[in-house]
Amino acid sequence: MREVAPGIEWIHECFPLSSGRHEHVSVYLVRGPEGTIAIDSGSFLHREAIRTRIERAVGEDGLSAVILSHTDYPHSGNVPEFLRRWGDVEIVASCSDAEIQGLPYARRSRIDEPLEVCGRTFQFLDPPLADRSHTTWIHDLEAGVVFAADGFGNYHVPGECDLTSPELEGGIREGDLRRFHEENLAWLRYADPPVLRRALDRMVEGRRIEWICPIHGNPIHAGDLSTYLEMLGAAVEAIHRDAGSPRLGL
Amino acid sequence: MGEIPTREIRPGLHWIQECGPERFDLANSTPGLDGSWYRNRAPLHLPQNAYLLRAEKTLLFDTLSPAAGGWVVDVVDEVLDGAPLDYLVISHPDVPHAGNTGRLLRAHPEAKLVAPRFGETHALYHLDGALKVGPGDAIDLGGLEARFHEATFLDHSMHMWMSESTTGSLFTVDWLGFPHMAGECLHFTHELDSAVSPARLVEFHGRVMFWFQYADVERMVEAIDRVWDDFHPKVIASGHGLPIVDGVRSYFDHMKEVVRYVRENGRTGVV
Repeated sequence: MREVAPGIEWIHECFPLSSGRHEHVSVYLVRGPEGTIAIDSGSFLHREAIRTRIERAVGEDGLSAVILSHTDYPHSGNVPEFLRRWGDVEIVASCSDAEIQGLPYARRSRIDEPLEVCGRTFQFLDPPLADRSHTTWIHDLEAGVVFAADGFGNYHVPGECDLTSPELEGGIREGDLRRFHEENLAWLRYADPPVLRRALDRMVEGRRIEWICPIHGNPIHAGDLSTYLEMLGAAVEAIHRDAGSPRLGL
Repeated sequence: MGEIPTREIRPGLHWIQECGPERFDLANSTPGLDGSWYRNRAPLHLPQNAYLLRAEKTLLFDTLSPAAGGWVVDVVDEVLDGAPLDYLVISHPDVPHAGNTGRLLRAHPEAKLVAPRFGETHALYHLDGALKVGPGDAIDLGGLEARFHEATFLDHSMHMWMSESTTGSLFTVDWLGFPHMAGECLHFTHELDSAVSPARLVEFHGRVMFWFQYADVERMVEAIDRVWDDFHPKVIASGHGLPIVDGVRSYFDHMKEVVRYVRENGRTGVV
């Protein structure tokens, strides 16, 4: 665990891939005036490590809230454990049918609306890059950090697990960025690259963004954002071009 | 629970429907399209469906949502009628589809768990021990045959469609879903008084397939045509709609209009 920005800590768990690369399955902690908030809960595979790290971070105060970007298991898998360990933890989730998503006790966040959690204000964004329809990106307005769920991801090599974009030698690699998106956002084969690029540009324009913190990638500093977006645009173009006529396995 | 929410679509092909909570926000969000399908301010359901194939062997495709956890095992057992559950197939590890996997496996430890072979993060979903299948794979049930395919239109990347050869059924999971009104539960589409029009289909796809707003429409149209050419399905059994057993081809044309509409007008909301 390390600090990314003042009041923002990163629990960087990884899942090893057969290529030798790793995929992050991260959790972030945000320190609010009224308690500590987890952004996503991580995978059950990393349950003990995540719980131990949060215990060290929050001490006797405990964890106060979890804001889920969406209910995909690697993001929501430790909610039951957090409730067992810390009891009265507020769960915030974006889905409109919370019972169907297995979260009947959750407070709902809504796209394009602010919400105060533990005395800190978050804005919930409609993400151009996501797999599940109820996904939100979570903008911490005070720190200028966007927690980007399945967006803005990249694979990395061992030894890079706890590095942010300015600390990576040569920055985030285009190949690792492309492979992540190709393998995890399968619908990109149908995307019209200029249309998606305009949506991404609109998402970042006019917002105070110091960091973009993905769950499945290294945190991206604002100074590296334009480079990342250029590489992402090229990756989407390449995915579109190489998909050609979409494959259909029978 | 009261009435058992199941219906036999074709001999041996049983549909289990979870209607979910009543909603009123799944209509009238498609300006420019004919929204007359929605009538009398009726409560709407956006269902989860599971399908049980029962021949010499049995196979359950998807598990419904955690909200059905109190009754799904009883209903599956009712349809099994004493037979073992041989295969439990997960289309993709999304909560409304896979939310009762553990519960069903505990009730039926004899069942073999089957999952899409796409990707390599199965361990993140408790699917590392599953039989992994994909294009080219089939399970012979002795009288019915389940075949597995890439999900042409999808959300999560670890995702597959299924077909059944004898009945000509195609299980399209998150594609070709739509809300239905109270009173339309357990109906087939051709039995409805109110059409399953492009507007009704947009109410679902404009939310769940949010990425249609970024789509290359011509590529999508080609893919829709390819699905038709490859399968010529006689039955569409989706994860979130009513079964289509008559006039299937027209729904493929509807879906072209749906893609064009969402691309032009953006997403219609969130599920």
